[in-house]
Amino acid sequence: MEATFWNRHTETMPRAKLDALHLHRLQALCHYVYERSAFYRKKFDDARLKPGDIRTLEDFKRKLPITDKSEFIDQQLANPPYGPTLAMPDELIVHHCETSGTTGKPLAIPYTMYDTVRYGESWIYGMWALGIRPTDTFYFAFGWGNFAGFWSTYWAARRIGCRVISGGGLDTKGHINAIMRMKPTVLISTPTFALRMAAVATEMGVDVSKSSIKFTYHAGEPGPTALPAMREQIERAWGAKAGELLGIAEVDAFAPGCPVGDGVHVNEMNNFTWSMDPATGKEVAEGVIGENIITSYANSAQPLLNYRSHDLVRRRMSCACGRTWAKLEGAVLGRTDFMVTVRGTNVYQTAVENLIGEMEEVSNSYELILTREEENDAMTVKFEPVRTVNPDRWGELARQMSDKIHKALHVRLKCEPVPPDTLPRYELKTKRIIDQRPKEFRRALDR
Amino acid sequence: MEDCIAKIRQARALLAAAMARCDVPQIEAMLRTADTELHWALWNLGEPVSLHPELERSRTG
Repeated sequence: MEATFWNRHTETMPRAKLDALHLHRLQALCHYVYERSAFYRKKFDDARLKPGDIRTLEDFKRKLPITDKSEFIDQQLANPPYGPTLAMPDELIVHHCETSGTTGKPLAIPYTMYDTVRYGESWIYGMWALGIRPTDTFYFAFGWGNFAGFWSTYWAARRIGCRVISGGGLDTKGHINAIMRMKPTVLISTPTFALRMAAVATEMGVDVSKSSIKFTYHAGEPGPTALPAMREQIERAWGAKAGELLGIAEVDAFAPGCPVGDGVHVNEMNNFTWSMDPATGKEVAEGVIGENIITSYANSAQPLLNYRSHDLVRRRMSCACGRTWAKLEGAVLGRTDFMVTVRGTNVYQTAVENLIGEMEEVSNSYELILTREEENDAMTVKFEPVRTVNPDRWGELARQMSDKIHKALHVRLKCEPVPPDTLPRYELKTKRIIDQRPKEFRRALDR
Repeated sequence: MEDCIAKIRQARALLAAAMARCDVPQIEAMLRTADTELHWALWNLGEPVSLHPELERSRTG
């Protein structure tokens, strides 16, 4: 039987041995950040903590302060590009990526050469488990830009020894033509773009289920693991096996899939994770939904310790596939801050709300209507012009709002004015999101 | 696996000696890459190795 493990030795390492290894590495990491990062030294000092105080994994989880993306962004804004979050000498930084900035300002992500090796490696565990081998050829159906997900997939493909074909600069029809001409066997794209490509191919009279593609591999939005309906659609459209990785740009490609197909395994060579009750800050038991808290060994340039992912997950410590690495059933089940992905862009309710709040001629009441259109999640913003605005100008306000959102979040949303005081008002918990998507296209906790 | 790990450690020691005597930037870069790969191999075998070998090299010049 062909091995499904990229590294059986560590993917099946007994839990006690894994935990001992984590403790050793976390203790070294605490010393490292205390000595080299002004950001973390202050964190430790504010908590009256020294690296030597971390004697157990419980110490690490309970005593070390939780960190959040906004803290890093604030530090970088005050002293760009990386500020005191940088822990490596500037001359060792060889690659730069950024987050999309959909929650506000983008986070700058520096990498050393070794970081790029570590990050790329994370993808491979899931790819190998799916059946991808050095004889395969990757097709990358996206523009490159500064997005960590695409670059790290490329680092992975090189490491496996696969051929790489870039689709950068091509439109959707160009991708289809390139795939039919070059005959790649692995398609790398966001899951919704895989479906969009299949739909465009059908319009072109091309049946991609009969193409050379044997595997599709996805990240960046809820995919085949989180949404079984998505898996069924992608696998039928492409006649291929679909896989999914759960990653966070500034952390790592940290959970690279599982051959069983119902979750993703944390790469425990690169990351230490645990689940926290976001309300109490305390750890939750195995099987209980909590927020995934991550410490990465992969990003030495800008270390992330006890980092909030805002992803709600259900953690299991065993799996039928034989891996001992923690498994996140269903990948991400929901978000602590409501987020929906529209045409590949993560859109947060709070980000849209902040932009609406900046418009003087619009009331604070609004609704975000989620629907499913042409294999994509779509969002319509319903808003109320204030009473003093003549209805003749409502259309112009809608255009202004759409442009404002597009400029800030890089996604164009439909904006629809409704008469003043017609949207519901709430005394207690405000309901702004009206989710009209079919249930199978919502994350488990959003159904 | 123990024998494999021991051999990797020996290879790193040989590389360190070669790097110390090397003044050709091209070859030095190759030795550095090789050492990173071997460190990575030990890490992924669960061996207790340093977190950041690049810092050790930068200290030694």
